[in-house]
Amino acid sequence: MKKLLAFALSAVMTMGCFAGCASQQEQVPTDGNIKIGVLAPLTGTNAEYGKGFEVGTQMAVDRINAAGGINGRNLELVVKDSKGDQKESSDLCRMFGDDQQIMAIIGDFTSGACMANAPIVDEAKIVQLSPTASNPDYAGMSDYCFSIMGRQDGEAPFYAKYILGKYMGVKKLGVIYINSDWGKSCFDNFKSQCDEEGLEIVEAVNYVQDEKDFSSLITKLKAASPDVICIMDQGAVPQVINQIRGSGWTDIPITTLGPGTSEQLIDLCGENAEGLLLTSPFFFDPDDAELTAWKDEFIKKAGFEPTIHPVCAYDCVSLLAEAIKACGDEVTRTNIRDNLAKVDIVGVSGPLKFNEGGDITRQYLICGVEDGKYVVKEGFDYSKEGN
Amino acid sequence: MEYFLNQLINGLCQGSIYALMAIGYSVVVGVVGMVTFTHGEVIMIGAFASFYVFNALGNNLLLGVVASFAASWIIGMIIYKVCYEHFFSAPRHISLICTIGISILIKNLAQIVFGPNQMPMLNVVKNNVYKLGPVQISTVQILVIVIVVVLAGILSLVFNKTKWGIALRAVSQDKTAAYMMGINVKRTAMIGNCIGCGLGGVAGMLLSIYYQTLSATMGGSYGMKAFSSSVLGGLTDIRFSAIGGLCIGLIENLGITISSASFRDVFAFGFLILVLIIRPQGFASKKGARP
Repeated sequence: MKKLLAFALSAVMTMGCFAGCASQQEQVPTDGNIKIGVLAPLTGTNAEYGKGFEVGTQMAVDRINAAGGINGRNLELVVKDSKGDQKESSDLCRMFGDDQQIMAIIGDFTSGACMANAPIVDEAKIVQLSPTASNPDYAGMSDYCFSIMGRQDGEAPFYAKYILGKYMGVKKLGVIYINSDWGKSCFDNFKSQCDEEGLEIVEAVNYVQDEKDFSSLITKLKAASPDVICIMDQGAVPQVINQIRGSGWTDIPITTLGPGTSEQLIDLCGENAEGLLLTSPFFFDPDDAELTAWKDEFIKKAGFEPTIHPVCAYDCVSLLAEAIKACGDEVTRTNIRDNLAKVDIVGVSGPLKFNEGGDITRQYLICGVEDGKYVVKEGFDYSKEGN
Repeated sequence: MEYFLNQLINGLCQGSIYALMAIGYSVVVGVVGMVTFTHGEVIMIGAFASFYVFNALGNNLLLGVVASFAASWIIGMIIYKVCYEHFFSAPRHISLICTIGISILIKNLAQIVFGPNQMPMLNVVKNNVYKLGPVQISTVQILVIVIVVVLAGILSLVFNKTKWGIALRAVSQDKTAAYMMGINVKRTAMIGNCIGCGLGGVAGMLLSIYYQTLSATMGGSYGMKAFSSSVLGGLTDIRFSAIGGLCIGLIENLGITISSASFRDVFAFGFLILVLIIRPQGFASKKGARP
């Protein structure tokens, strides 16, 4: 009898717990500020990008709030430092998921962290909109995962087909790439496109994160005598370029996939960067007044030149604002998700409309370095042909 | 063959930098008698000191060497005061943990002060490439090898020919006996620690000239390589540590030649483990040379 009573009591208590949860979940605030969580690596090696996220998102929020907010409510950002660490990012993501005040999450910076967070946001039914994750596997991991950077299986084939095949017209490629999730997927997509185009990869070498000495890889590439060097990485690209030029190999053309139009690359390479060719989905056109104004405002607030990353962070807020507006009075996490999937706007970084997987299919430009500045190669706009 | 010879030169050059780091490391461990994990951060401080000097006063190599040596010397003094001075008679792991702590502190402070980004160190030396038959070697590579050889030579002279050096060696061998002979053990140990750190700082400068970049987080992997090279040489023996560094540099680059750079550390540490299995005392001939 006693046992039965105990069981019954414990059952009631357990039910009570669940009931508490259920009622808590329905407590969605209907007035006051709409809170959005931001995961950004504010410290650590990717600190520059984290700071860019913080400034970029805040710029968008200021603009929206100054224009009267969304349906009479203001946006508010809650920025947390994920340190570029997947574990840290997951913890913070779980915190956001548990906090019913947070309606959506922007972030994180790396594909790795975003992918680690995917099951968490799926469970919490909250949108994770990453400005920068480009791993092809990421957005498909959950209905609640979105990315606006464009996927590697779009950019790498473009790079092979148009820059190397059509623009340069080279045949023999020497490839050096980082051995990571990103680098591997880049190289695989690149390689299959090369096979299609009849480009021959005469030597492909790779290295792991934090490699500093590329001299033996360069000697290896040199021995295969390619027509062009292709570098796939972000952080180490300047070092590879410097070491190639430093080894006395000055006549080989260099191309790269990954760093985008990074100002830091030019700072780090100096004149070694001359003639470098690369792809970018976006370019700060100095003739575009609106873009220049955006850039100036960013420099004033952040203290450094923006890359595409803060632009995407800015656009993420615009996208979420549009989705929240479409929710009307019923601003819930699931409504935001459903509306976000349907949004179709033109952001600072270009047209933004999600495909079925939750990614954006980007168009790419061919950029080059001339006299220490990035320029777009005019007349080679292949975007109309599609990728 | 030409390809192979060029890879050997690459390995030799990288090995010389490892050797310089390892020499510094051995001096620290030998004289102080305790293992340190701050060497990577000392290397980074040396690199930054030369970076600021080059920016402010132009690309004067000699000034760069002096600045990096001096800055690392000062950091060495701080490390000595915090991590070693009070712990000579305490169990060894206390100062070891202490060095790990201070290395984290220095690294994070450096990220705040110098910023988290990579910085460029361009054109300090005008780079020409010389061809000697099938082999080619660049000015920077020659410079690195020359500086390493000169510094190692000076150190060896100081250690063997001067009174200071004899005091340092005495402290390194037996602190109590040295104390009884009238040597100021604490001061001598501090100077030894600072010399080791100074050499590490110069290695930092050479690394950033060679790779043309530097950053606040560069120290970690280099500290580990310095430690391994030094273990390979028996931890306290300067000459063998230098050979250990050279060996690791060569083995790594030959390994990359036959496979991929992703396996760099596999070759370095695989070789280290192999040597330690066969000769637990490293290359050094004396058994029990380790502190």
